[in-house]
Amino acid sequence: MPDRVIKPAEPWGKPDDGGEGGPRTPDVNRPNTDKLLERMRRVDPRAARRYRQRSGE
Amino acid sequence: MHRLLGLETEYGLYVEGVDVSDLADEARAVVQSFSGPCAKRWDYRDEDPLKDARGFRATQLTFNPEDIKYEKPTGKHLSAREDHVDHILTNGARLYHDHAHPEYSTPECRTLADLVAHDKAGERIVWACAQTRARQAHREISIYKNNTDFHGMSYGTHENYLVRRDLPFDWLITALLPFFVTRPLFAGAGKVGCEDSRVQGVPFQLSQRADFFTEICSVDTLHRRPLINARDEPHTDPRMYRRLHVIMGDANMSEYATALKVGTTSLVLSAFEQGFLPTIVLRDPVRAIKEVSRHLSGPWLVELDDGRTMGAIEIQRTYLKAAQERFVERDDETKWILKEWETVLNDLETDSSRLADRVDWAAKRQLLESFIESENLSWQDEALFSLDLEYHNIDPERGLYYALEQQGAMRRFVTDQKVRDATEHAPSDTRACLRGECVRKFGKFIEALNWGRIWLNHEDKIVEINLRNAFDGRVKDLYREINESSTLAELVRKIVQK
Repeated sequence: MPDRVIKPAEPWGKPDDGGEGGPRTPDVNRPNTDKLLERMRRVDPRAARRYRQRSGE
Repeated sequence: MHRLLGLETEYGLYVEGVDVSDLADEARAVVQSFSGPCAKRWDYRDEDPLKDARGFRATQLTFNPEDIKYEKPTGKHLSAREDHVDHILTNGARLYHDHAHPEYSTPECRTLADLVAHDKAGERIVWACAQTRARQAHREISIYKNNTDFHGMSYGTHENYLVRRDLPFDWLITALLPFFVTRPLFAGAGKVGCEDSRVQGVPFQLSQRADFFTEICSVDTLHRRPLINARDEPHTDPRMYRRLHVIMGDANMSEYATALKVGTTSLVLSAFEQGFLPTIVLRDPVRAIKEVSRHLSGPWLVELDDGRTMGAIEIQRTYLKAAQERFVERDDETKWILKEWETVLNDLETDSSRLADRVDWAAKRQLLESFIESENLSWQDEALFSLDLEYHNIDPERGLYYALEQQGAMRRFVTDQKVRDATEHAPSDTRACLRGECVRKFGKFIEALNWGRIWLNHEDKIVEINLRNAFDGRVKDLYREINESSTLAELVRKIVQK
């Protein structure tokens, strides 16, 4: 998986008033590919076969 | 933004050991697991899904014959209230059951930041309900914010835009189609495979929904779906406004994609309201959206009515230019939209993999490609459908989108704190705050409510608060009256005096 280069997004507008200062801009720019792959390997490969839905709007 | 906006999301539901024919009961049970303060009596009298914005009333809605096979004859007719099990929350949102899906309609918002926060708040609320239900039922429950089951059944994520009524609807159809047909370039959520059995050789496409459109315009939503939905339910003063009900979009996990999808659409509508009329006419819009969706790289050529072809990016640039000419100095959110819209189109032209930190289809594609490479699979492997599904799992410990977000690999648009706030509080600058405050303070007296009205029971008399024309100053005045009334009698006195 190619490394991602995340360009800093320009903050727009005023800061949120939430006070926590959550992650508007990613502070990690290279995802841990091994961790992602590990999470993907845990997905049941037949999950979509079982997944049936009613037609919605 | 300079208009009211809202999103409705029908969530996919998987309950371990439960057959699809029982999903409606399960969806109701998930919704009924909501444990916070709420009102529960939705009033349907202002709804008329057969009313067509083109000036007539449809005779009936069409239903998917494949879906009807799943109907279980219970011998019992449910009223709309029994069927939908509505919950109206203190944040002004509506949580309910629809067509075997838990559905969450955000409150009316005026800013993209509020809209994205409330969309994400909806995920948290529905997920919390599902967890409660799972504990009660001793079954594993998964909730997916997507639009397909990969077996031909689709469910919607609808956008709502308040638009001036004096824009003729036929004109809107013509003007919107080229924009909508090409919008999946940045608003598509990505999908493994193709759900049109006549089409082979599409391992991955941009849009979840494109396969499901067969018509250009109608009031239908469940079957024979149109690119432009003509449902005429403004939920406000019908002489002044229409509510453009957009059903052709995908559910976005990316906050950025939600913001750009709604922001660009709102700006396009603003340009129309100022007289912009694109001269682009597509030969076959239904075919065109599928062709755009099924190509992962340019030039995404679309056939025009006069026989020429035009690139989808060039079509988008036509709308972008119209917005830039009119709104470049308008406000911070508008500046953000114009800048990001242009950047995304540039990235699509040069290297679409750059979009993997913002645009769902690009993020999903990169994840799947990494898995294919790592596990030595092909695009035909069944596991890819399941990984696609898991991208949309709203459980933050399982969902693959959330795996990316937790690593800081997806651009955010709002903070976690703002999302948490949105689970309880309505936007303060729309009528949603009036609904929310009434639920919070006078919930036990609410006889019924809907988007435009609240009926309170005061000493066995019904008092109506009309929100249909509540904008700006009227919202402030009404909010003050509700907020400063310590008793229902005091509030009723103030309302009646007016």
